[in-house]
Amino acid sequence: MAKGQAERLMPLLEELLAEAGATWRDLDAVAVGIGPGNFTGIRISVAAARGLALSLHIPAIGVGTLEALALDLPRPVLAVTDARRGEVYAQGFGAGPAEPRLMTAEALVADLPPGLALVGDGAAVLQALRPDLRDLPPARPFAEALARIAAARLASGEPQPRPAPLYLRSADAAPAADPPPVLLP
Amino acid sequence: MPYGCYLRRRVPATVGAMGETITFLGLESSCDDTAAAVVRLRDGRAEILSSVVAGQVALHADFGGVVPELAARAHVEKLDLCVEEALDQAGLTLENMDGIAVTAGPGLIGGVMAGVMCAKGLAAGAGLPLVGVNHLAGHALTPRLTDGLAFPYLMLLVSGGHCQFLIVRGPEEFSRLGGTIDDAPGEAFDKTAKLLGLPQPGGPAVEAEARAGDPRRIAFPRPLLDRPGCDMSFSGLKTALLRARDAAMAEAGGLTRQDRADLCAGFQAAVADVLAEKSRRALKLLGEAYGNDMEAIQTPYVNQNGQEYAPVLAVAGGVAANSVIRAALERVCDEAGARFLAPPLKLCTDNAAMIAWAGIERFRIGGRDGMDLAARPRWPLDQHAAPMLGAGKRGAKA
Repeated sequence: MAKGQAERLMPLLEELLAEAGATWRDLDAVAVGIGPGNFTGIRISVAAARGLALSLHIPAIGVGTLEALALDLPRPVLAVTDARRGEVYAQGFGAGPAEPRLMTAEALVADLPPGLALVGDGAAVLQALRPDLRDLPPARPFAEALARIAAARLASGEPQPRPAPLYLRSADAAPAADPPPVLLP
Repeated sequence: MPYGCYLRRRVPATVGAMGETITFLGLESSCDDTAAAVVRLRDGRAEILSSVVAGQVALHADFGGVVPELAARAHVEKLDLCVEEALDQAGLTLENMDGIAVTAGPGLIGGVMAGVMCAKGLAAGAGLPLVGVNHLAGHALTPRLTDGLAFPYLMLLVSGGHCQFLIVRGPEEFSRLGGTIDDAPGEAFDKTAKLLGLPQPGGPAVEAEARAGDPRRIAFPRPLLDRPGCDMSFSGLKTALLRARDAAMAEAGGLTRQDRADLCAGFQAAVADVLAEKSRRALKLLGEAYGNDMEAIQTPYVNQNGQEYAPVLAVAGGVAANSVIRAALERVCDEAGARFLAPPLKLCTDNAAMIAWAGIERFRIGGRDGMDLAARPRWPLDQHAAPMLGAGKRGAKA
């Protein structure tokens, strides 16, 4: 969904709860994808999740989108999504960068083992450079993967920090260019 | 015509009815302040139980202006913290609220969206009504929050992002008499400070510098005073300032402290003159809008003589804090037999108490929004007025 996520998200969740015969009050936690991905989309869900957590007195648990893509897939696997501008977001499980990274496709493929499995919409970008890499479909629907990972974290009993977006890319702001005038004594 | 004779009306200066209690949480995130507040209307009086504002001045300091993406990033991680603090300070919980009000526009869309989504999460989880508020209505209704002002009154909204005259007729009823056709004065103050090497925000810096300056040494234009009506223009003043600065620098190889003070004073005087003359005209238009029926536009207020009645010019927005501009507006009101009303500065600049209050005002007349409430970057208060700015495919900005 390119537009209208902010209008659609809460009605969608309410429909989902109704379909499951549940109410907001039945929830033990809220899982939310923190990115990397579309900045606005991430903020829409993180803001809503933090609001829900506060009003329901339950934790909101932030889950990386790359980790969710790779859930329950055989290791090693590299989760990779298209960050545009010739770059990808990538996180490896058993191979490649262990933490989510923003990289050019060229730099990323240089260190990947032959025949490595990929998951995510960035796979095609890497395969164009390295035809030996394999493309796997995710093992779980995306939102379900987020919920499963969050449920496991909740069960661990460890305190969960408030979810915060994982942007990886900076805000594209340039410092003011005009120099101030010369002041005479 | 001047509003010389004060007619007496027996209307108490209160909002709402005895026995009526409404408590709202408000959220604001449309520019560079993240804010949350709790406001209660009880027995006809409004009370701000808490008002928390987390600013972002340091975040944007290096960029010479608010960077929308940086602002949005800060809002999303601060909104719920501000809400918690506002509830704590009020000694209340969400269960004590009657509804949640949130700025749904106009403003920087990333921030507005973060606020709207946080409010939806709060409202859904707590089972509370959600009320989307126009940020400008928040400013325009503030005199009712602070002073229980009765409708109608004249409002000059003058800030870094906005400049317009409104007749405030009801919680959702605004008539725009005119406004800027380009920049807002606050923006021009910021630009002036930047061009002269003064710190941001520019308003206080330029005002302080202007104290040692001669407003008559450098001639600044008074844009649009030669045209009828209440429309204004401030972008030409920025150009005039730049030219005058460069002329002074070309002459001496740099700017003296006196040059800088004189430039600030001249610029500030031009803004004050324009706002004063346009306010004079707006007061006249207020009368004409009510067929010059003095009784219809006079509002009761209490002063040292007891209860008096006069038409009111109220101001809101950060530029209203400028003492030279304020003095000019007070003079205009004195001459016109009107009363000048400026809420305390922290309620003139962006805050969430005004949003909670505007939410209460909407709620009282049945205003509710669904979970599909949209964040709107553009949302003119007066839907009937011809657009002055940005009338394109994205709609009117103001």
